[in-house]
Amino acid sequence: MSELYDLAIVGAGLSALSALQAGIASARTVVLDYQEHPGGFLKAALPAPGFEEAWELVQSSRIPQRVTTFYGTTAVGLLPAFEAGEPHVLIVRQRQGTEEVHAQRVLIACGGLELTREHAQIPGTRPAGVITPVLAHQLLSRGYLPGKRAVVYGDSRYARATAQRLAGVGIEVTLVLPTEETHTAGQPEGKQPSLTGAELIAIEGFPRLEKVKFRRDGEFFDVPADTLVYGTGMMANTHWLRGSGIITGEYGTIQVNSFYQTNVQGVYAVGTVIAPSLDHAGSIAMGKEVASLLIGGTQ
Amino acid sequence: METKMRRVDVLVIGGGVVGCAILRELSRYDATVALLERNPDICEGTSKSNSAIVHTGFDAPPGSLEARLLAEARGLWPDIIESLHIPYLQTGALMVATSVEELATIESEIIPKAERNGVVLQRLAREEILEAAPYVNPRVAGGVLVEGEGVIDPFWTTRAYCENAVSNGAQVFLGEPVTGIDVADECVYVHTGGGGAIAASMVVNAAGLWADEVARMAGDDSFTLTPRRGQFIVVEEDHGVSQIILPVPNRISKGILVTPIVFGGVLLGPTAEEVDVKTDLATTAQGMHQIREGISKLVPVMAGAESVRQFAGLRAVSSTGDYIIRASAVSSRILHVAGIRSTGLSASPAIGRYASGLVRDELSLSQRNHFMDELPEYLTDMHPDEGDVVCLCRSITRGEILSALRSPLPPATLDSLKRRTGVMLGDCQGNLCMARLIDLFQEQLGRDPLTLNKNVAGSCPIAGRLPGTGFLLEGQESLELDGRDRDE
Repeated sequence: MSELYDLAIVGAGLSALSALQAGIASARTVVLDYQEHPGGFLKAALPAPGFEEAWELVQSSRIPQRVTTFYGTTAVGLLPAFEAGEPHVLIVRQRQGTEEVHAQRVLIACGGLELTREHAQIPGTRPAGVITPVLAHQLLSRGYLPGKRAVVYGDSRYARATAQRLAGVGIEVTLVLPTEETHTAGQPEGKQPSLTGAELIAIEGFPRLEKVKFRRDGEFFDVPADTLVYGTGMMANTHWLRGSGIITGEYGTIQVNSFYQTNVQGVYAVGTVIAPSLDHAGSIAMGKEVASLLIGGTQ
Repeated sequence: METKMRRVDVLVIGGGVVGCAILRELSRYDATVALLERNPDICEGTSKSNSAIVHTGFDAPPGSLEARLLAEARGLWPDIIESLHIPYLQTGALMVATSVEELATIESEIIPKAERNGVVLQRLAREEILEAAPYVNPRVAGGVLVEGEGVIDPFWTTRAYCENAVSNGAQVFLGEPVTGIDVADECVYVHTGGGGAIAASMVVNAAGLWADEVARMAGDDSFTLTPRRGQFIVVEEDHGVSQIILPVPNRISKGILVTPIVFGGVLLGPTAEEVDVKTDLATTAQGMHQIREGISKLVPVMAGAESVRQFAGLRAVSSTGDYIIRASAVSSRILHVAGIRSTGLSASPAIGRYASGLVRDELSLSQRNHFMDELPEYLTDMHPDEGDVVCLCRSITRGEILSALRSPLPPATLDSLKRRTGVMLGDCQGNLCMARLIDLFQEQLGRDPLTLNKNVAGSCPIAGRLPGTGFLLEGQESLELDGRDRDE
């Protein structure tokens, strides 16, 4: 891969697709993604009520012909340019082996990873059946049932949509919201019972999950379940940037200025990597904005 | 199931680091040797959940068998690490005193004991400690450096012992629990449930935490083992920590340590809790709190560090206070290797030699003509077009995973693949790649996803097939959670 690109976009999820739709690509643009298709990790959950805009983007977006795409290609390192004018080097792994991608500008749009019970240090056993939404969707997409009786824990639109999809295939679902917040506009209304303002405090059972323990208003209660879908939020997918000099903060979040520039000149970041709490609509909006700024000639 | 009698000269019960080290040494002899493990993979007990330190034995009870074997192991490790390609880092350990009283304990107890164990400790003043390890609590009063301490990968070690034994002809029977033992004049019959049995001229009882129960099955109640739980917190960011940091120990344990992990990151712990059952591997809020509090006195930056994972392990506390490596009073055909406490990994090279020597003498075994003491480099058997990443968090490629699936002791569960390759150990804890791993097990080994467990029987992440996909299991009328593992 000796070609020199103007722009390398790491990730083909919603923010990248949105930026591409808004015309960010020049003649020498390359897009690479870990998965074998564009659409990001959210794609496995689509279509879903409340995600019409994301579904529309994933369905309709056509990556322009002139853009080079490498799927099944994962960035594992970034070597920023030593001097202005020199290209940045992305180290990528693909089927043929480890390669370099050289580009004048890099847009990091590689999204996030879902937080797990381990991040919150939830005590208890480590049974099968404790998963995050992305695995639930991937198993369902393959025709597998993750469980029979599930607790979905989280208050995002994504957590609700996951609960609804599980209920839709006949799984008995209880949606538990960590906050007091009830239904908000734009979120799908599920039929499954829900509990609000309950804090997850422990996991019990082995080898399979047996019950999930909660605390609400100082009282403790158990919800029997063989599956816990832990859907409390995301962290930035930036472990691969360790050693690159790109500054990251809590949950691996990349620090950018109002022009989406990182601390390294010519390296930009957009979407969940800069704001893990962003939902899909925010990623799409940000993609448009970064496109207008980069086309506009911002350094 | 049909009765199936297998015959071997020596049967090792227990596929932990100790059992596998003994198996490797036994495979030097002209004899049929085999290992029996009740779990679907080796290294499922004490050997997998510990601080991964190769101790010098500086603080072992002087004169004990444990101290003797730890001392002998010091000389054996370099060759083993080299020939089996085991990841190892000689980090050294700093024992840090946080008060004048603790400093006095180091002088009066720790240094003299280390001298009796043949380990020289280097005294360090407060300033020297802070220079070598600036992350240590500035209130440190002083301490000692134990230069020879290091960290290793316990699973890698166990697997390497076992695979090396297999490449020298040893057999490994996984997923078979011992259900009964009959001692006859000419051999010992070990029953493994469902009519299976193994007749062995000699049995080595290396069943870890369960060695007392195995002994009892043979009518030997000469010792008991109780479980002591240790909880750990894994931190991915090392915050500069490059040495093992030890507190001055109390009577119960070595205390809560900060230990670099050989593949990167840091381990905080363990706790030392007496628990009632030998399967209690839960972490607790109190345990986590105790670790963070203990650590804050040693390495303050770690007290609030983000954790990627927590786990608990159980170690055996022996009623005799020392290693129990001797023939059973019931029969000289049973050799106990029990009560190995928390030092089994460190002493394993010497335990392997010592125990196999006792077996050799008992059965008058002679050395085989050729013994291969080397293993090829691990996970390098990569084919073209397998370079793409499957485990995103750890950048682990399909080639590395396929190489593990093709190895002499292939993984039978998701966790055993995790321990062989490092997949599922990163930030997402396997949620991103597990479905792809399940696909690879199916493609490569023909493994039905509905029978692929996370670890033990009954831990399949998949509960059934979706209605309407027409793949209900035979005899299943609806989508029941089926106890689909034959081992149960």
